[in-house]
Amino acid sequence: MTASSFQLEVPQSLIDRAKAGEVDAFERIYHRFERPAYTLALRILGDAEAAHDVLHDAMLKVFQCIGQYRNDAPFWAWLRQIALNQALMRLRRERRFEPDTDVEYLTDDAAAPTWVHADASALERALGALPALTRSVLWMYHVEGYSHPEIAELVGKTTSFSKSQVARGTARLRALLDPSPCLIEAGSPACLI
Amino acid sequence: MSDMNAENRLTLGDALRALPLAAPGRDAWPALAAYLVPPARRRRRYGAPLAIAAACMLAFVAALSLRHMPSAVVEPQVTATVAPAAASSKTNGANVSDETNVTNIHEPAKTDGGDRLAAAQARSQALERWLRDTRRAASPLPSQDLAAAAEIENLIGLVDVELAASSADGALSLWRRRVALLEDLTALRYSNDRLAESAAASPAIGILNRIN
Repeated sequence: MTASSFQLEVPQSLIDRAKAGEVDAFERIYHRFERPAYTLALRILGDAEAAHDVLHDAMLKVFQCIGQYRNDAPFWAWLRQIALNQALMRLRRERRFEPDTDVEYLTDDAAAPTWVHADASALERALGALPALTRSVLWMYHVEGYSHPEIAELVGKTTSFSKSQVARGTARLRALLDPSPCLIEAGSPACLI
Repeated sequence: MSDMNAENRLTLGDALRALPLAAPGRDAWPALAAYLVPPARRRRRYGAPLAIAAACMLAFVAALSLRHMPSAVVEPQVTATVAPAAASSKTNGANVSDETNVTNIHEPAKTDGGDRLAAAQARSQALERWLRDTRRAASPLPSQDLAAAAEIENLIGLVDVELAASSADGALSLWRRRVALLEDLTALRYSNDRLAESAAASPAIGILNRIN
């Protein structure tokens, strides 16, 4: 399993220098985590400008509060948590905390997963078509490695909610990437299960 | 054939993690650097309202402590009336007597560590509930207070981050820090003039009494 893109080694000396207020140490930390933090925000929010704002706010918070970092968790995990919280807060503020609930998808689980043959841009497009909260849960679970209980706490929902969003998101991605999907809108007479 | 099987085993996680990292369209560093250079000035800007808030809170807590002292000392259970909210704190089942004990967290410890932790969590929940319940009634904060409130909320968020990674040993001090920050936020909100003026006509005072 590939590690999270945040999982970068940060020398203690660099953290200490940043704690001491050295701006060039902040700059090095910023550039080290710029892309992982931006990517996380982009995947959650699905909007480049909003992701840029979150990157800015998260990094600012990291720098303002680095004195409180106590070395009892890896620095990257601390920074990732701040970036994730910022992105989720933004999602809440924009009232985009609605999960995928009203659509069901027929999928053939025995067939090869559709993402096997999808290129990166197709997968990114499909990901972007998911409801923001569903996409966020899927990303936190599959990419960042959060457990369902952890996700439940982060989004203020239940563990079952997290599991159902991963299942729905996966099924929906499969359908979106399928050249002949059988997408069932709620109430549609076609393709009833 | 084995290649096909390997392909079919490609999980969604593998596929998502294989996506290239995105890069921001423009460099965010210059704006950040601009914030970082004059840190002393920023601290001064937030320092005044925070100090005022802390002073208000101290006065407020002192007044309420005096008011509740007899019942709190003799029969702690009867003074607390708020059941802990099931919001973000981790111990939803903490009882009301724990909450009362936390009100006086500066008193000598009467309970063991587990009780104090549960009490701090209950206190945190009660304060959060009050802040949530009074959000609508509160008039907009002046810009300086708003900045201070945002700063306090940021600090609470960071305590939450630390709590998520903390050991059982460190949890109590973090929960107490969280309570202290929530009290600052409460004081800031409560010291807002218009809310104070309308307090007699609104349930805010009652709620404040209940959470203390």
